[in-house]
Amino acid sequence: MSWELLTVALMAGVANWCFRALPILAHRGRTTAGGWLGRFLSSTGPAAIGTLFVAAILPSLTSDLARLLPVITGTAAVLALWFTRKSVVLATLAGALAHGLAVWLIG
Amino acid sequence: MTRTKATFLDGLGASLPIVMGYFPIAFSFGVAATRAGFTEVEASALSLIIYAGASQFLALALLSSGAPVLVAAFTLIAMNLRHLLYGPALMREAGEEATTRLAWAWAWGLTDEVFGQALGALARGQKFSEPYMFGLGLGAYASWVSGTVVGAFAGGGALEGWPAVNAGLGFMLPALFLALLLSILSRRQVPVIAVAAAATVAGTLALSATSGILLGMLAGALAGVIRK
Repeated sequence: MSWELLTVALMAGVANWCFRALPILAHRGRTTAGGWLGRFLSSTGPAAIGTLFVAAILPSLTSDLARLLPVITGTAAVLALWFTRKSVVLATLAGALAHGLAVWLIG
Repeated sequence: MTRTKATFLDGLGASLPIVMGYFPIAFSFGVAATRAGFTEVEASALSLIIYAGASQFLALALLSSGAPVLVAAFTLIAMNLRHLLYGPALMREAGEEATTRLAWAWAWGLTDEVFGQALGALARGQKFSEPYMFGLGLGAYASWVSGTVVGAFAGGGALEGWPAVNAGLGFMLPALFLALLLSILSRRQVPVIAVAAAATVAGTLALSATSGILLGMLAGALAGVIRK
């Protein structure tokens, strides 16, 4: 294995661990943040999930109906399963299954 | 709302959509890495050590184009700055009674999807537990690493003969994020999510997908600060 690759991987990996773990370890034993910081942190989760959904679906949005139809079908399946079963796992699997089936049917 | 305890197996079960979404992406990373001239061991090591999807693909482009080591490393590090917010946001929802004795270990697995799934579980009334975080994180990590290994050794073409399966697996992560969004959706959060979505679209179209994600998260969180 080349040392350049190992160096880059280790630097990025250590930074990732620091980003993910250190804020939690630093937070330990402190009282929950209030005021503007509390509101900021409370909104971070919904903002992140909304952002990640848009970022994930954006490349699929196209005027080509053959590519768009499976996306619409998959999205409808997620909505249907969520509102009937309230299960994230089932809704996700149903969405992927409906999307794959639509691709298969369209050919 | 009654809060239920969650076990390691609950976490492993909750990781299923992430596992199914990660595997094909990691598989394609393994294929791309070997096509870019890296060995199977090097491709697998990148997933094992970095464990961050988009920045690993960028690593391939940077390293194979001969970018200087420090430039490549700091570019990858900058891409994952958003992860700084995940721990504090999760622990705020977990409440003050949540224990974080083993956070040094399970926090390694706090990717976008694991964070979203853990936050969604808390929003649905589940009590924070470290075994659950281990199960959730381990399932996702194992899928990412094993997908890369299989992709690196199998090479391209394995899923190309199955376009419908490939497409369905490719829709797994958008479907997961939509389901998570629905699970945390409340009237209070609508302005935050709307601002985040608009900023993501604007940032992606004007700058890049990575900038769009960072801008979307920050704009949405700031909208929550302004909101009374």
